Amino acid sequence: MTRDDAAVAHVLARSGGPLRLGAGVAAPPGMLRLTRPDSTGRALPVWPDGVTPSLLEEYQVAPVPVERSGETRRVLAACLKCCWTDLSVDPWPGGAAPLELVLDTYRALIGRTDDLMRNWAIGALRRLHDSAWIDMSDGLVSLGPRCALWPPESHAQLKELVRRIPEPERATLTVVADADIIAAARSGASTAHEEEASAQTRQSGPRDEVATTEVGNDLPLPDSHHGSAGALGLRGGSPASGSGGRVEGGAAEFDDLLSGYDERRRAELVAAFMAVEHAAEPVQEARYTALRDPALRHTLGEMLGRRGRTLIQHRERWISGYDDQSAALATRLGDGRVGTAVPTGPDGDTPQAPAAALGEAERAVLVLVLVHSVAIPRAEGVLPEDTWLSPHPTPVDELRRHTQVPIGELESALRVLRHAGLLTQVKAGEEAGGYVPGPQFHRLTPAARRRLQEELILAAGPHTPLAAAVRARRSAGNDR
Amino acid sequence: MSDQPLTLDTALSDEAVLSTYRRMFAALARDSGAVVDDPALVDIAETLFAAFAEAGEEWLTHEQMRFACRAYPADQFDNRLRVLKGLGAIREVFPKPHQLRHRASFTSVVGLMFIRRMMDDGGQSEMHRLLALEDLNVADPRTTMEEARLSAANLARAFRLWALELITLTTGTIEELREQAPKLWGTEEIARRAQGLHGTILTRWPELDRVCTDLRAAIYAYSDASRRAAGRLADSAGTTRNLTLLPTETWRTFTQTAGKERLAAVLDGFVFDAPAPWHDPAAVARAVDEAPRPAPAQPTPPRSALPDPGPQGSLDSSPAAAIERLTEVAESLLGSSSRVALTDLLGSDWPSARRLLADLTTVDLRPELPYRLTWSDELTIDPAREPAWLSHGYLERTS
Repeated sequence: MTRDDAAVAHVLARSGGPLRLGAGVAAPPGMLRLTRPDSTGRALPVWPDGVTPSLLEEYQVAPVPVERSGETRRVLAACLKCCWTDLSVDPWPGGAAPLELVLDTYRALIGRTDDLMRNWAIGALRRLHDSAWIDMSDGLVSLGPRCALWPPESHAQLKELVRRIPEPERATLTVVADADIIAAARSGASTAHEEEASAQTRQSGPRDEVATTEVGNDLPLPDSHHGSAGALGLRGGSPASGSGGRVEGGAAEFDDLLSGYDERRRAELVAAFMAVEHAAEPVQEARYTALRDPALRHTLGEMLGRRGRTLIQHRERWISGYDDQSAALATRLGDGRVGTAVPTGPDGDTPQAPAAALGEAERAVLVLVLVHSVAIPRAEGVLPEDTWLSPHPTPVDELRRHTQVPIGELESALRVLRHAGLLTQVKAGEEAGGYVPGPQFHRLTPAARRRLQEELILAAGPHTPLAAAVRARRSAGNDR
Repeated sequence: MSDQPLTLDTALSDEAVLSTYRRMFAALARDSGAVVDDPALVDIAETLFAAFAEAGEEWLTHEQMRFACRAYPADQFDNRLRVLKGLGAIREVFPKPHQLRHRASFTSVVGLMFIRRMMDDGGQSEMHRLLALEDLNVADPRTTMEEARLSAANLARAFRLWALELITLTTGTIEELREQAPKLWGTEEIARRAQGLHGTILTRWPELDRVCTDLRAAIYAYSDASRRAAGRLADSAGTTRNLTLLPTETWRTFTQTAGKERLAAVLDGFVFDAPAPWHDPAAVARAVDEAPRPAPAQPTPPRSALPDPGPQGSLDSSPAAAIERLTEVAESLLGSSSRVALTDLLGSDWPSARRLLADLTTVDLRPELPYRLTWSDELTIDPAREPAWLSHGYLERTS
C-alpha cells in the first residue's frame, strides 16, 4: 500500500466513520483492525503513542463539543453495563443486549421513567450509533468499534463503573427472556442480515471496495490470529458470543518520523498533533512548541500528511484540515471510480461525496445556512472577515417556511449537521436564534474555501459574468 | 448633518453618492458647481415630496414644509426650498403673488425615483427597460427607418461608453472595481436582448447594415469588458469576498426557489468530518456520577401528638423590656462607680465577650440611656489571652 492510499483511507475513515475491511485484508497503517470471526473487519484510526483526545484536557484546549454530553455518556454507560457481560475480557466486542434492557438500565440509573426520558435516551442512542460508539439494529444494541479505542489501562475504571450502575428492576415475569430475544433476532436476522448487508454494499458499495480493493490488497494478512497478531497487541475477544471479534493493533505509522526526537520533543509533537486534529477552534501557536518551532512544525505537517491532513493557519493559530489532494482522491473513490487511474488535481467536475458522508438533504440545508449566514451578510456588507464562520444565525423559521426542503427532512438534517459540528445552534431568547456554520468550517483549506465560494456563485447566479469567469478559469486550468 | 460622527468611511460613501449625482446631471448642469455637495440635500427634497404626497389637496404652507423637514438645519432647508422653487419643482398652487400654499411637480418626483434607481444598480435595469421599449418600437409597423437608425446608433453609443468605463475600471484598483463593476457589467440577459434587437432591425431594414455592424461590435465589446472585469475580480478574490458581488436578492431567490438537488450540488466534492466525539472513560464515569438523581421522598421530622404551642410569647419583645434589660446590664457592670474599664469586664471566652460588647454598643447607641462607651487609641495584644486583640475602652455613666 502506498502512502497516498493510506492517506486516502484515513480521509475516508475520518469523513465516513470506521472502514469496512474484506476478509483477510489488513488495516491501513495507523489503524486498528477489529476482526470478526469470519475474518472481515473494520478499521479505525488510533492515535500515536497511545494517547487519546483526553490529552486536550491537560492542555486546556476545548475539544469539539459533544451534544448533550452528560446524557449521551450516561446512555453509553448503560449500554456498557448491558453489553459488557464478561468483565474478565475487554469491553469490545462484548455481547448484544435488547434495546429495552438498555433503556431499563438507563431508567434505573437516572431514576426517571417518563416518556420524555425515553425520547432523550433514544436520541442519545441514535447519536452514539451515528458516531460508531454502539451498533443498534433489529432492537439489539452492541458496543461499536470506537469502544475498542478505550486504552487498556482505563478498563479498571470502566469495570468499577459497570459495577456501580444499578441492575434495573424488571418484572420477573417477562414474556420473552433477553437471551431468547437475542437468539431470535440473530436467527431471524441472519437471512435478513445478509440481504441488508448486500443492500448496504450496494448503497455504500464504493467505500467497501475502497477498503477491499484499494486499501488492502498489497499488504498481506498479518500472519494470523495467534502469532504476530498477539505481538501486535491482540486484546481479548469473546468467542462464545455470536458477534465475537478481536482487536489487532495497527502498524505504527509515525515511528520513523518520531524516533529521531527525544522523549520531550516527541511528546510535544504528539500533543500538537492531537490538538490540531481534535480541538474545536484553531489552537494558539504560542502554546505548543511543535507549532512554534519551524522544524518541529514541518515534522508535524508530515505526520498529518500521512493521514491526508494538512496544517491550516489562521494568523497565529493553527488547526488541521483535509489536504486538497487527498480529499479530491477520496471523493473520487467515493464516486465509485475505484481502480481506475486516479487523476490528481481538482477539477470540480461532478465528484460525489463518499457514500457514508452527508446525504442530499443535509448538504442542501448546510448550503442554505451558508447562504443566509455568510453570503447574504457579506452582500449586505455586515460581515467584515473573510471567513466561512459567521455571527449571523439563520432563523429556523426561514429554513422551515421559505425553502424547498421538506420539513421532515429538515429536522433530521439539522440534527445530523449539529452532531457533526457542521452547524452550531445559537439560542437567543424565545424566538430568535437559529443556526450558524459550525466549527468544522475552521478546517477548510484556503483552496477549499475559495472553491466553496465559487460553487455558491455558480449555483446562485449561473448567468452572471462572475460565474462565466469562474467557468472560464476552470476550463483553462483543466487544459493546462 | 447626520447624527453619526463623520468617519472616513461615511465620507467615502458620501463621495461615491455625489459622484453618481454629478455624472447623471452633467448633461444638464450649467456649471460644474451646480450639483449638490451634500447627499443630505437630496434627502430633504425627498422628505418634502413625501410630505406633499401625504398632504394631498390640502397642499402645504411654508411652515408645514419646514415642519416636515424639522430634522434638517434651517439654513439647509431654506437653501433647498429656494432652489426647488427656482427650478419649478415646488410651485405656488396658484401663480399669483403672496400665495401661501405650495404644490410639488410630478415630473420632479418621477425624476427623483429615477435617480434613486440609478443609484442602486448604476442603470442596469434602465438598460433593460430601454431595450425592451426599443424592441417594441422597432417591431411597431409605424416606426420609420430613420427612427430605427437613430435608436441603433444611440444604443451602440451607450454600450460603447459602458464598455469603456468597465475597461478603465478593470485596469484600476481592485477596490474600485469591486465596488463599481456589479453596477456596470451586463448579464447575459442584456447581451441577449441587445442582440435580439439588433436582429430585428437588421431583418426589417437590411439597408441599416452599417449602423447594425456598429451596434454589434459595441455589444461584443461590452460583453467582453464585462467578462474581463469579472475575471479580474474572480482572480483577486479572497475566499468569501466575491460573495458580495451577487446582490442580496439573488441569494434570497436562490435559497427560496432552488430544489434540494441544486442546493446539495454545491457541496459535491467537499469532505467533512463524520461525528466522532470522544467519550473518555473518566468522562463517562463523571457523567454517571452527575446523573440527576430523583429527589428521594424526604420523611418529615416526627411531631408530637400532643398540642404544643411552642416557645411563642415567652420573650417580652416590647421596647420597654429591652431598655429595662440593658439598664440592668449596665448597672450590674458599673456597680457604684461611674466609669469602668472594659478590660476588667470582659471574660476570658470570646462568645460571652462578644455578647457583652453587643449589649454595651446597644447601650451606647441608645440616647435615652445614661451610659456611654469611650474608646482610646491603646491596643493590647496578648496571644495567650482571649480576645487576643483588645482596644482599651470605658463604660461611663453620663448623668
